[in-house]
Amino acid sequence: MKAVTKKYLSAAAIYTASAAAGHAAELGAVDTPIKLALNEWTGQHVTTRIAGEMLKAAGYKVEYVTAGYMNMYRALAEGEIDAAMEIWSSNVSDEYAKQLEAGGVTEIGDLGLEAKEGIAYPAHVAEICPGLPAWEALKDCAGQFATAETLPAGRLVDYPADWGTPGADRVTGFDLPFKAVPAGSEGALITELRAATEKKSPLLITFWQPHWAMSAYDVQFVDLPVGEPACFDDPSWGPNPDATFDCDFTPTRVFKASWSGLADKWPAAGEILTNMQLSVEDQQPMMGQVDVDGQSVEETVDAWMQANPDKWQPVVAAATE
Amino acid sequence: MSAWIDTGLTAFFDLIKPGARMLSVALAYPMDWTKALLQHTPWPLLVALVTALGWYVGGVRLAVLGFLGLSFVVASGYWVESMNTLSLVAVSVPLALLLGGATGILANEVPRVKSAVQTIMDVMQTVPTFAYLTPLLLLFGFGPVVGLIASAIYAAPPMARNVMLGLERIETDIKEAAIMSGGNRVQQLFLIEIPSAGTQIMVGVNQSLMAALSMVIIAAVIGGFNDIGWEVLLTMRKAQFGAALLAGLVIVAFAIVIDRISAGMARQQQRHSRQGALAIIAAGALAAVLAWLYLPAAGQLKLLVPVADWLDGRLTVFVRANGAALDSIKNTAMFYGLLPLRIGLDGAVLPFTWGFLWAGWMSAALFAASAAIGGVIALQGRVAAGLSMPILAGIIETGIAELPWPFVLIGAGAIGFVAGGRRLALFSVLMLTAVLLSGLWEKALWSLYLSGAAVLTCAIFGGAIGLICALSPLAWRVVQPICDMLQTIPLFVFLIPVLMFFQIGEFSAFLAIILYAIVPMIRYTRHGLVSTPPDLIEAAISSGATTWQTMWEVRAPYAAPTILLGLNQTILYAFAMLVIAALIGTTGLGQSIFLALGQADIGLGITSGAAMAILALVADRLVQGFAAERRRALGL
Repeated sequence: MKAVTKKYLSAAAIYTASAAAGHAAELGAVDTPIKLALNEWTGQHVTTRIAGEMLKAAGYKVEYVTAGYMNMYRALAEGEIDAAMEIWSSNVSDEYAKQLEAGGVTEIGDLGLEAKEGIAYPAHVAEICPGLPAWEALKDCAGQFATAETLPAGRLVDYPADWGTPGADRVTGFDLPFKAVPAGSEGALITELRAATEKKSPLLITFWQPHWAMSAYDVQFVDLPVGEPACFDDPSWGPNPDATFDCDFTPTRVFKASWSGLADKWPAAGEILTNMQLSVEDQQPMMGQVDVDGQSVEETVDAWMQANPDKWQPVVAAATE
Repeated sequence: MSAWIDTGLTAFFDLIKPGARMLSVALAYPMDWTKALLQHTPWPLLVALVTALGWYVGGVRLAVLGFLGLSFVVASGYWVESMNTLSLVAVSVPLALLLGGATGILANEVPRVKSAVQTIMDVMQTVPTFAYLTPLLLLFGFGPVVGLIASAIYAAPPMARNVMLGLERIETDIKEAAIMSGGNRVQQLFLIEIPSAGTQIMVGVNQSLMAALSMVIIAAVIGGFNDIGWEVLLTMRKAQFGAALLAGLVIVAFAIVIDRISAGMARQQQRHSRQGALAIIAAGALAAVLAWLYLPAAGQLKLLVPVADWLDGRLTVFVRANGAALDSIKNTAMFYGLLPLRIGLDGAVLPFTWGFLWAGWMSAALFAASAAIGGVIALQGRVAAGLSMPILAGIIETGIAELPWPFVLIGAGAIGFVAGGRRLALFSVLMLTAVLLSGLWEKALWSLYLSGAAVLTCAIFGGAIGLICALSPLAWRVVQPICDMLQTIPLFVFLIPVLMFFQIGEFSAFLAIILYAIVPMIRYTRHGLVSTPPDLIEAAISSGATTWQTMWEVRAPYAAPTILLGLNQTILYAFAMLVIAALIGTTGLGQSIFLALGQADIGLGITSGAAMAILALVADRLVQGFAAERRRALGL
């Protein structure tokens, strides 16, 4: 690992020497490790480790701290964690907004991860309900999706209640003969996908990408009319004249946040973390390598960084040179 | 109301925060020391130390157990994580034992505080940890210490309860002997009474330990600690049953080893040779040197990963082969059991499930029949049982989740009056009114339905299993490790197969609750039945009683108080599990607690937690009230 980092550092030096001279930020307290939060999912591990390796390449010490995604914001505000690299606006704890307002936490820009959410199904369900992916097909197939709890309506597995109820909103929005059942956790959602795929049973689920399960269970999205702001406040907009929410999900923003003191204590690090970008095309294959092929996050990220220096070196170079 | 609580509590917490933070720092020291010690001890040496201790305490049997248990942990590849977990438990369990033991003795010495102590214990066990997680985070900061404190809070009550029960049941002649020998109160207590309550207190230690280990997962939800619970959470999130089970079993391995060795230490008996123990340690040291030279670090040994993968594959194959059968099990249970309980016969009896539609005359017939049966029972002098018949009919007719609130209040008041007089009636009505006013009534009824159904099932099946285990030591040898496993393995692990089999919904939640809440029923039933004084049994046998007659006439009545403590624990556990069941996807109070956690809403968290605790308390007090009446009837 150390050898790899050193190689990049020199590579980065050459790269920037030839480029136009930028302004260099102070490194700051290089002897104190910068603590990055590791949350519960693999994509976040990938993002965080890339950020950490970038910081190491710039000459910092980095410590990875495991932290519960929903409960970490107070720790972030008190500087017990220095930065969280992947926060999803669709299911962030209200505590985040409180700490942001109180000033302990600063938002440091979008990650560049273009997420998509929607009503989805494993590919085999298209045989059970032939009209898919057109949403109109759901009106006639509802009976196929019915279970003991939802009879006679079909069953739509929604997000856990604390992430909001976008699935239930679509059911009312499109006036679908479905009942939204909240899942309790991400694990429950994945288990539903897995069981439905194994049993070839019908399943309609609220889901998102990037996620490793998208490819592992061949998950497809239902086509919904593209949303406009009017869809959410004007009932007459969209296919259902009597309801709002009769359109696709609004795109989720994925962003980064740091302890407010970070930019003062480690100015260059603040700049690196703020400017760091990662796309779905880069993250999703790495998630697959970890969760499907069983590689470790470390080796996956190291290999990616070696193969794609152009995606991160300029950011490090701009801040340090 | 919950908004008001939120503001008030936040102000209060800010006031006591500095003190709490100091405590949190103070607790972090012993934990870090233990952690450093455990992490830096070479693993073969640690395995040898445990094996040697097992040998010294319990001979070959415990030595083998210790060796196998720790070897399993090494082979799992979770060595580093488990040492972190162990360091947390090593601090939280003594804390809980001290806290629980002191409380139990206090309640014994000062009878006036006894009922208050009992209520506090109930609250500590029923207000779900997740409900006070947000305030704990606020008070104690971030990291494993919060998990440590949460686990100590949860683990103290079983200790306190068993100390109380043990001290209470010391025979009067022992107490009198202690008084006559002239010791002061402290000497009487510590030299005579506590040792003679030893077995019951050991049940407390055991239960406390199990409870602390089962809370390890909470520490992981907070994070800040790379422990075994975190591994369980990660694998659970990916629905990898094999890996999650492997990580969960590591916790079970610890629980079983610690429990059996500590039980052995508590027994007064011949120790095995010291030379043997020293030889084992020497062998371990040698192995440590060899391992250091030739083997990878403990965290790198992942010998059991193929087993986990294989298990995961088996689950897939099983689900694929039995999908239809599993669906029909679920549908039968839903249509003929759970749905009628929830929405009542009038809503659940439909032509395409039951074959006919519920009609008005059927309701009338149901009520008439129940009134007639109730009348007959009441005429025989059992007014309580007679009165509850029409109430039961009403519940089955309307369904628990759709009961009108006046019915619930009046019904609870009536049952309370019959079971325990005016005080209990008033207590039940006031408590339930508080829930009604909190605005969480509908969710509370939903939770009541789910845990009520689970408790009923647990009482029947758990009691039966406990009885079988009391009769046959062989059965107990099989059931005991299963009980240990169910109580200590993070139940998240079982959510995966339960969900694979039965999907998100109340049936899965129902099963998950039963898996956990049935254990105390089994344990206490068996413990009560086998701990009948031998002279009583001898007297019964010499007067010609058969095994079954001894069981019913002698053992069962003597065991009744212990079995009822088991029922109390089952009720509390069932409510406690509602929160975990919410991870499956239920809509009761458990869900509100997760919502509160997500929104960092202290008010909603505390209100939902309190509502849950109230339901559990009222249910428990009513059952205990009937039990007290029963005991009086039996002359105990």
